[in-house]
Amino acid sequence: MDEEFKDYIDIFSQDGVLLKQAPSSFIPFINAIGTIYIWSTETNDGTRPIKRFLEWKPNDVTIDSDVQDQEWAVVNTVQKRSRTLSGNLPADHYNKLRSLKINFEDIKRVAKKNRDLTFFDGSSEPMCTLLFQHGDCFYFIDLLKTYLSVGPSRRDKNIFIVYDADSPEYQELNKTFAALDIKPNDSSFWTMFKNIKEHPYESSLMAFSKVSTYVYRSVEPGNNDILLNDDLQRSLSEIDDNITHSGGDYELVQKPPQLPKRKEFPRCKPLREEQWKAQFTCDGKLEDVESIKTLIFRGGVSPKIREEVWKFLLDYYPWDSTLAEREALVIAKVQEYYDMKLQWKSFTKAQENNFSDFAQRKSLIEKDVNRTDRNLDFYAGDNNQNLQKLNDILMTYVMYNFDLGYVQGMSDLLSPILMLIGNEPDAFWCFVGFMNKLISNFDIDQAGMKDQLGNLFTLLNFVDPFLAKYLETHDCANMFFCFRWVLVWFKRELKQEDVMRFWEVLWTGYPCQNFHLLVAVAILEHERSELMGNDYGFTEILKHINELSCHLDMDLMLNKAEGIFFQIKEADHLTDQIRFIVGLPLIGNHCTDSHELIHFDSPDCLVSSESHPKCSVDRVSISPDEISFDKSIQSNFL
Amino acid sequence: MASNKKVLLKVIILGDSSVGKTSLMNQYVNRKFSNQYKATIGADFLTKEVTIDDRTVTMQIWDTAGQERFQSLGVAFYRGADCCVLVFDVTAPNTFKSLDSWRDEFLIQAAPREPDNFPFVLLGNKVDLEPRAISAKRAQQWCQSKNDIPYFETSAKEGLNVEQAFLAIAKNALAQQNQTVDLYNEFPDQIKLTNTQRPSNGSDSCAC
Ligand SMILES: Nc1nc2c(ncn2[C@@H]2O[C@H](COP(=O)(O)OP(=O)(O)OP(=O)(O)O)[C@@H](O)[C@H]2O)c(=O)[nH]1
Ligand SMILES: [Mg+2]
Repeated sequence: MDEEFKDYIDIFSQDGVLLKQAPSSFIPFINAIGTIYIWSTETNDGTRPIKRFLEWKPNDVTIDSDVQDQEWAVVNTVQKRSRTLSGNLPADHYNKLRSLKINFEDIKRVAKKNRDLTFFDGSSEPMCTLLFQHGDCFYFIDLLKTYLSVGPSRRDKNIFIVYDADSPEYQELNKTFAALDIKPNDSSFWTMFKNIKEHPYESSLMAFSKVSTYVYRSVEPGNNDILLNDDLQRSLSEIDDNITHSGGDYELVQKPPQLPKRKEFPRCKPLREEQWKAQFTCDGKLEDVESIKTLIFRGGVSPKIREEVWKFLLDYYPWDSTLAEREALVIAKVQEYYDMKLQWKSFTKAQENNFSDFAQRKSLIEKDVNRTDRNLDFYAGDNNQNLQKLNDILMTYVMYNFDLGYVQGMSDLLSPILMLIGNEPDAFWCFVGFMNKLISNFDIDQAGMKDQLGNLFTLLNFVDPFLAKYLETHDCANMFFCFRWVLVWFKRELKQEDVMRFWEVLWTGYPCQNFHLLVAVAILEHERSELMGNDYGFTEILKHINELSCHLDMDLMLNKAEGIFFQIKEADHLTDQIRFIVGLPLIGNHCTDSHELIHFDSPDCLVSSESHPKCSVDRVSISPDEISFDKSIQSNFL
Repeated sequence: MASNKKVLLKVIILGDSSVGKTSLMNQYVNRKFSNQYKATIGADFLTKEVTIDDRTVTMQIWDTAGQERFQSLGVAFYRGADCCVLVFDVTAPNTFKSLDSWRDEFLIQAAPREPDNFPFVLLGNKVDLEPRAISAKRAQQWCQSKNDIPYFETSAKEGLNVEQAFLAIAKNALAQQNQTVDLYNEFPDQIKLTNTQRPSNGSDSCAC
């Protein structure tokens, strides 16, 4: 630190703060990442007036400014290392020379835009803009508020004005919160609620996300806090009156638009052998594919016929094939499998040594095979033949799709398939079908996983905005804690029998695309009171979610997820973004003739839409899958 | 600094897939080895209380997936670490070669204040296995070139040296945290930890 500041102590620091805008002397540091500190002379003696200032210091190592989305960036270590800012100067020296300091007294206005904070003195020129890379600047703002008399601007709630503590504006602001006479209570929830008085805007959003737990949803009756419901309700309406409407122009709480009421979708019995057999014509063709799929979606498949049904579900057998066609197909596919297997089996040691990409994949597979479901009898013990099969199928898949090769998680996907379909070539082709469904999970740059976790957040935000906001303010909006769920479709979270049931339900593609994300939403919503009530942060949430493994009630989750789907579908405020994720037709304004919205993939649908034109008009905004789905639901429940 | 204050030490274990990160963590925390552990997907952590010089501290040990493809995920967990444990498999030369990039990536992503003094500890795991591909000497040389990183040879399977290694890890993490706190508080008379106070290089008992 500089000599003149030697009496100051560091009371706050946060890393990952990028300098976006600053005076010209700092131009070399624009887009550099650094740490922000608050320094204070605050000591116990209290003799001198307290002085504080803000400091931003660049890290001595910097990262390409275009790599904004750092957490997902594929980092090329070597390159980045050479790009240190410090050059020949020792990092410390450089940092001392170059740090941006702002006296607290000079701050007159702070504007927040997404992750950016801009500081203003009295003039219109900003002093600097900082980008909080790792999420919210919530804690920082909160702290600012404890030191400065800050209130949201009337014009724009994202602008914080620094008031003179005894200015009429600030007094008025405080008065509105004084209306909340809340019983002192040491639970974190109440502390949070009380905080509203002191830290108006941001913490109130936080607090309200909690309040909603108690007021709107009233979780877990019998809980002590429920008794306080009345008080809360009153306080809430007072806030409503005092602030949202009469108190000022800015809105403190935005009640999210309501979803339609959730319906129950109890699970049904698995598809039985008789039901299945009865569906085949004399040449072995399935008659009513859609109603079969619906039955499977509703209850799964009886273990007796599971092997055969999976071959259809995993696109090994075409749904419209005859028995003779399938028999011919199997002969060809078995041959194809063994041809590919022979390719890698016949590599010589020298070939392998000269083919490091291949050797790497081979060794990775070997290591993972030894760690796949060894707790199950089927894969237990040394020299287990099934481990060999697991290995050989994965190796053959490397030859089948060398660009993808082998990525961790794939052995998890194969394991249940092989357990059910002991025959190597058949298991292989079913595995191929499964991989085709979620191949983007294994993208080299993880783009597919990134998209899915992003979509999960979007869905959650639509269904449960309070929880989404909570996660956002707790550095969890990236949804990393759901990574395992999404990557291997809950394989690690469910017991073996449940995994099989769960997957076959999902493979039907009903009731919508990305249904597994709605299952994730259902689970999160189920855990919301745990997560928010305990005020869990990033670490605790991750732990909590990991520990749900093997404790999930699959039927309940499927039931809820389906309920959520219909809520979404029927919501008045359904956006194209959500429609896109769940695969409902978009209603962008370019579509004038709703008739044209229907896009039929399969010839079957085309026929039916032509023969029943009314039906297509009635269901203009529904995809063909759904038409049949709705239809078959009716046929099943009527 | 008040010694009754609760101290949480965040430790990150890094290294290639299958070098034994999960096994080491479980051996240390639960004192058991199982060949039923699965390849890590995502991340997890375990906590353990340890007493260091009469102080009880809680170690939060983070285990992430080693496969290259998932590294972009792992970096989200690096922040705020007090010590970084690098692991390689003494029978697998490639896992040794990757150490540099693991270390560099950690330094970039975690961006500690003083990268040159940030504590790392290196573990050469699976010493119960034959044949060895990386000698202790070679590993020690690497450690020396990196500002004297402490080195331990371990076997998660046999529980060999695991306790000692993690104790050193805890000490280094604590020293790191104290040092950071010193910086915060600007106490001039606090002891600054230097390399000589770390367990000296090669203090591991494994004869090689
Ligand atoms: N012989 C022996 N085997 C070990 C030892 N430590 C781990 N293993 C085995 O090595 C394999 C990999 O161990 P893990 O602990 O899962 O490896 P990891 O580093 O966590 O791997 P990822 O989760 O993929 O990053 C497993 O089959 C372990 O049983 C050891 O000290 N000796
Ligand atoms: Mg692991």
